Amino acid sequence: MAATFTEHGRATTRRGLLLTAGGLVVALAACAAAPLYFGDYETQILFRFLVGLVLAEAWNLMAGYTGLVSLGTSSAVGLGGYVLIGLLNHSALPLGLVLVVAAVAGAVLAATAAPGLMRLRGLYFTVGTLALAEALRLVMINAERFGGASGLFLDREPPVQSELLWIATGLLAATWLVLLLADGSRLSVLLRAVRDDEDVAAQLGVRSYRVKLAVFAAASALMAAAGGVQALKLGAIEPYGMFGLRWSIDALSMVIIGGLGQRAGPVVGAAVVVISAELLADYPEAHLALTGVLLIVMMRFAPRGLVGLGADIWARRRLMRGVAS
Amino acid sequence: MEAIASSLASGFLLGGIFALTALGLSLVLGVLRLVNLAHGDLLVIGAYAGYFLLTVTGIDPLLGLPLIALALALLAAPLYHFLIRPLMGRGVEAPMMTMFGVSIVLQNLFVVGFSANTRSIETGYSTSSLTVGPATVGWIYVIGFAISVATVVAAHLVVTRTSFGRDLRACAHDSVAAAVIGVNVGRVRMLTFAAGAACTAAGGTLMGLAFSFTPSSGAGFLLNSFAVVVLGGLGSILGTLVAGITIGVLQSLGGVLLGDGYRDLVALVVFLAALIIRPQGLMSMRR
Repeated sequence: MAATFTEHGRATTRRGLLLTAGGLVVALAACAAAPLYFGDYETQILFRFLVGLVLAEAWNLMAGYTGLVSLGTSSAVGLGGYVLIGLLNHSALPLGLVLVVAAVAGAVLAATAAPGLMRLRGLYFTVGTLALAEALRLVMINAERFGGASGLFLDREPPVQSELLWIATGLLAATWLVLLLADGSRLSVLLRAVRDDEDVAAQLGVRSYRVKLAVFAAASALMAAAGGVQALKLGAIEPYGMFGLRWSIDALSMVIIGGLGQRAGPVVGAAVVVISAELLADYPEAHLALTGVLLIVMMRFAPRGLVGLGADIWARRRLMRGVAS
Repeated sequence: MEAIASSLASGFLLGGIFALTALGLSLVLGVLRLVNLAHGDLLVIGAYAGYFLLTVTGIDPLLGLPLIALALALLAAPLYHFLIRPLMGRGVEAPMMTMFGVSIVLQNLFVVGFSANTRSIETGYSTSSLTVGPATVGWIYVIGFAISVATVVAAHLVVTRTSFGRDLRACAHDSVAAAVIGVNVGRVRMLTFAAGAACTAAGGTLMGLAFSFTPSSGAGFLLNSFAVVVLGGLGSILGTLVAGITIGVLQSLGGVLLGDGYRDLVALVVFLAALIIRPQGLMSMRR
């Protein structure tokens, strides 16, 4: 059913995988070195891009590779943020370990919610994740123990700009590692089998529930860690922002605009969304409305996003050149 | 004691209104297999329409209800034609995401056009109340309940007793087979979408009369409606009525037992619990 919705690239060769990994390492090094050649303003935007990209990659892993369309990105983001601030304030754990705990919390949340959300396919998963995010937000607003509506403050100075950027780069490295594992292993075949026809996959012996659960948990872990990094930057969090629908809109629109199920989709989409948000920084409503219009247009005319569109144009030009010569 | 009786009675009546707000979502989900993620924003349009009808023209929103419903139906038909219809053969996700795009656009248009202020529709009956025995309820709940139940029952009769209803049920059951025996599936879908939007707008106006609302009320409205649809069982219109009232009463109970802040949480918990325990709904016979 979902096969018409997206087309994911062919299985990766070992050489292609090595080349991809090499390119990603170079990109990560460039990000980590950014404070050397970027000013404060650009570094800040790069940070926003990195956090958005982690969310988009995780969302793409679910929706593009496995067919799990979630509107609950904010539930993992918010949980990660609260876990990070709570642990930093009330324990002596080092920051790296705290981020790992936040990620584990995200995975546990996914595993806890999965039996209900995945009971019925497709439709209910999407709305169920939205309900989960709203429910968590309402709980946090009412939970005085966790600061209620006014939220929590980090009781120490947040790290400086360049350190934050390194942390975000490290998280992106971890995200790409997860994706390379999912893409280059037997798992990638299982994922696509489940996405394209769950019944046939099940008959061939794929334990589709386990595959979906693993992806949901991994993606939620990454999203929770991203929420933790975001909370670390903010230094103060409150339920309306951390559990806000905005995170879900961001992740989803980055992937749809860039290209659902396309490996380069999240990078392209995150760049488009972060840059357009910056250009329209004085008109946030106009930016969101524009994002909505872009979503509608992409779904209708370019279901494989900008990456798919570019690939099509490239292929056509090569074909034309071949005809001409 | 009186406070509890009043709260439960209000919840019961409010539940009837919930059923009307969920009716459009249920019809569109059943016939088009479309999760209309802009459903909550269509409800908010209904609320704004009632608000501006009263403040600009002075027409009472309840008298203007047919007008609002008709306007939304006329707005929804091209929405279906240009955005949903071209995607119908491309799985369930594409039209759903398109409606999510529509939802984002609408929400931000509300903010730009009408400001982010909280609004409420002030009428004589939205502040006065009726006392029966130990219970005191707002007149708006009583009137809204009557309008909603009448509309839901009328929709049930149209679906079960008319030739259009027969076509509609055929499309909901198997659209390909329906097309084979000569049902104009495209027309049925468009009419269902438009009629669903009309019911949604009317329900939205009633919600606007009963509660205050903001441009971003849509997400909460959508989830509330979805809880009703899931609890009532897909495709069962009378199930929607029973589920709406159930959720209304449970919300009141939640408000009384846990405090008002938890009212909205009740519907979400019921929804998630229904997905886990009885995903086929209260009234549905088949899965």
